[in-house]
Order: sequence, then structure tokens, then C-alpha cells
Amino acid sequence: MSLYLYLNGGFNLSAINNKKLLVLALYAGEIMLKSGGETYRVEDTIYRICRSRGIEYVDSFVTPTGMFISLDNRGDKPEDLTSCVRRIKSRSINLNRVARVNDFSRKFVNSSMAIDEGMEILGQIDKIQPYSALVHALFGGIASAFVTLLFDANIYEFIAAFFTSIIVTFAIKSLDRIDFPPFLTNISGGCVATIFAIIAANINPVIHVDMVVVGAIMVMVPGVAITNAVRDSISGDLVSGLAKAAEALIIAASIAFGVGFILQIWILISGGSLV
Amino acid sequence: MTYLYNFIVGLACAIGFAVLFNVPRNSIVKTGIAGGIGWVIYILFNTITDSTVLSTFVASATIALIGEIFAIKFKNPATVYIVPAIVPLVPGHGLYYTMLSIIEKDYEAAAKYGGESILISVAIAGALTIILSINNFRKVKKSQRLN
Repeated sequence: MSLYLYLNGGFNLSAINNKKLLVLALYAGEIMLKSGGETYRVEDTIYRICRSRGIEYVDSFVTPTGMFISLDNRGDKPEDLTSCVRRIKSRSINLNRVARVNDFSRKFVNSSMAIDEGMEILGQIDKIQPYSALVHALFGGIASAFVTLLFDANIYEFIAAFFTSIIVTFAIKSLDRIDFPPFLTNISGGCVATIFAIIAANINPVIHVDMVVVGAIMVMVPGVAITNAVRDSISGDLVSGLAKAAEALIIAASIAFGVGFILQIWILISGGSLV
Repeated sequence: MTYLYNFIVGLACAIGFAVLFNVPRNSIVKTGIAGGIGWVIYILFNTITDSTVLSTFVASATIALIGEIFAIKFKNPATVYIVPAIVPLVPGHGLYYTMLSIIEKDYEAAAKYGGESILISVAIAGALTIILSINNFRKVKKSQRLN
């Protein structure tokens, strides 16, 4: 990289605006973090982006709830040292954005792209919408239905899980869109899954409640959080690891709470057994 | 034949989760393939060893390896391929039976299911960490050679 810069005459270091570069790096990091990117990837991206424009000292501390970045030109002027803090308030999973920012950072580092141009591209990436609620619901149904098949469900359970999960996915995605508290969203998801599973089991006695519920709650389980939690902890980012572990635990507990609540009510109403 | 069936089911699962997690459109089927292979490995090891935790570990490691290979080949983050493929292995049924046992006041069963769920989660994460750390080590060594 440094050879490349040398051949191209290098960047005029004093012309590189520390603040603009910092804002660009922050923006790239923010998009990744709030779309479900791993902390080490965010730190790596920030480091590469800043180093590629000749900043001598770059350090960042990234956690799932916020990030801190400092840049230093090793000069004597006060503006040679810049730093910024950015809080991340909401998190959802949009791997498309993570992939695009990753791609962008590779391009940015390996070319002499202007910082303003970079900001424009990042703005476009930030605007990328998730797939529509209908597509989500349909594929959520497919995912859940096939998960029940993995546990040897029969064809009726397969169909029941498919329709239950369409309703569950649609419900949680709609609640997400109006910024409903995440904890309550997952409780509602668990409730809806169990209610429709019980209805299905009462329509056709071949259907077992457990199969349908297990299938339907798979669209909510914190798979990403669990894997990121242990990965961060083992690689030494203990704060991020603990934060992710807490997230996973809270999601799992809220799903279980929703499912348990309805099951308990149903046991009270039906007077004992679960279908 | 059963393996083909399991491959197709695993593929469909991973494709469903890939759309839910907004994987880029051109990577959805590749993610599905990773999920399908992962599930076949899981079934294979489960019939040989009859241990859910060990099978999950091997399947996760396989998925992580495939994800890393795809990541290098198609220039996308490995997460894109690994996360949706791994979700079918997450112990959703363990979570359900833990809760059910608590409601039925059968705390012994709750501890059994809960413990197994935690072990499975750790197996998934451990497998991912091992593969990703090896890949990281390889990258660091490579960049050291270049300099």
C-alpha cells in the first residue's frame, strides 16, 4: 500500500482533513455495527480506512453499544489529535449492508477516492432497505417449516409451522418497524407462536404443539448474538462479548417468557394436559 | 438418499434465514449450500456418535470453513455465509423444553434441557472461534510475509 502511495506521489498529508476522515470512518463503523457486524471487523475497517490516508496513529475501541476513535498525526499542533465518540442505540440484522461497507472499505483503501465521494457512497449504503415485510414473512415461514422437518415432523406439522411462522415473522417485523421495545417484541412473538400452535393442535390432533412452537420461534432465536458473544470473548474483546451475551440471554428469556405465559394459561383453561 | 433429503431440507432452512437476515441477493443460494452441507455433517455425526453436542461442533466447524472459503472466493464477509447457515443448529427446541419443564415444575428436566442448550451454544461458538482464529492467523502471517 505504501509503495502504491509513493508511486502516485503520495497524499499531501496536510491536505487530508482529519475531521472528515474521522467522520467517514465513524459512519462506516456505525452502519456495520447497527447492521449486525462483528466488533473486530468494525475496528479493522476503521483502522484500514484511516491508515490508508496516512494517519500515523489510529486507535479505536468498539463495543456493540458505541465506539470511540482517536487519530493522531504525531504533530505539535492541537488539531493533530482528533477523537470522537458515537453511541449505537438500535441494532438489527442486515448482512447486506455489512457486505457493502466491507466492499466499500476495500475499494476506498486501495484507491485515492475522495473523502466526500466516500461519504456519498456510504450514504447510499445506509439507505439500503431490508427485503419487504411480505418477503420476510414468506421466507420466515419456509425457514421454520423446514426446521421442523429437521426434527422429523410430519406433513401436518410442517404446514402448521409454515403458516404460524408467517404470522409470527410478520408480527415481529411490523413491531420492529414502529420501534416497539425489543423485549416486548420477542415476548409477543413467543405468545403468537404458541397461540397458533395450540389452535393448530386443536384442529388436527396429529399436530404436536412443541414441533410447531420450536419451528416458529427459530425466526427469533439469538443465533448471531450467541456466536458473536463467544467469539468476541475468546478474541479478548471482553466488554463486547459480555454485551452480546447479555443480548442473547435477554432475547432467549423473552421468547421463553412469551411461550411459557401462553402455555401456562392454556394448561389452566384446558385443566391439565397439553394436547 | 437420506443425506440428499437432509441436504435439501438444510438448504431450504438456510435460504429462509438468509432472506430474514437480509443477505445480498447473489449470496443467498451459496449460503443455502453451506447450510445444507452443515446439516448433512450433523446428521452423519449424530448417527455415528449419538452426541448432539459433538455433532453440532463438527457441523459448525464445517460451516465456518465453507464460509471462510466462500468469503475468500466471492469477496464478501464470512458472516454473510456463516450466520444464516448456523441458525438451524441453535437449540431452539432446548429453549422450548426448558420453559415447558419449568412450567410443569419439573426442575430436574429444566436443568437438563437448559444445560444441554448452553453446551450446544458453546459448541457452536467454539467451533466458529477455532476456524476463524486459524484464518486470522493465516492472514496475519501472509501480511507479514508481504512486508
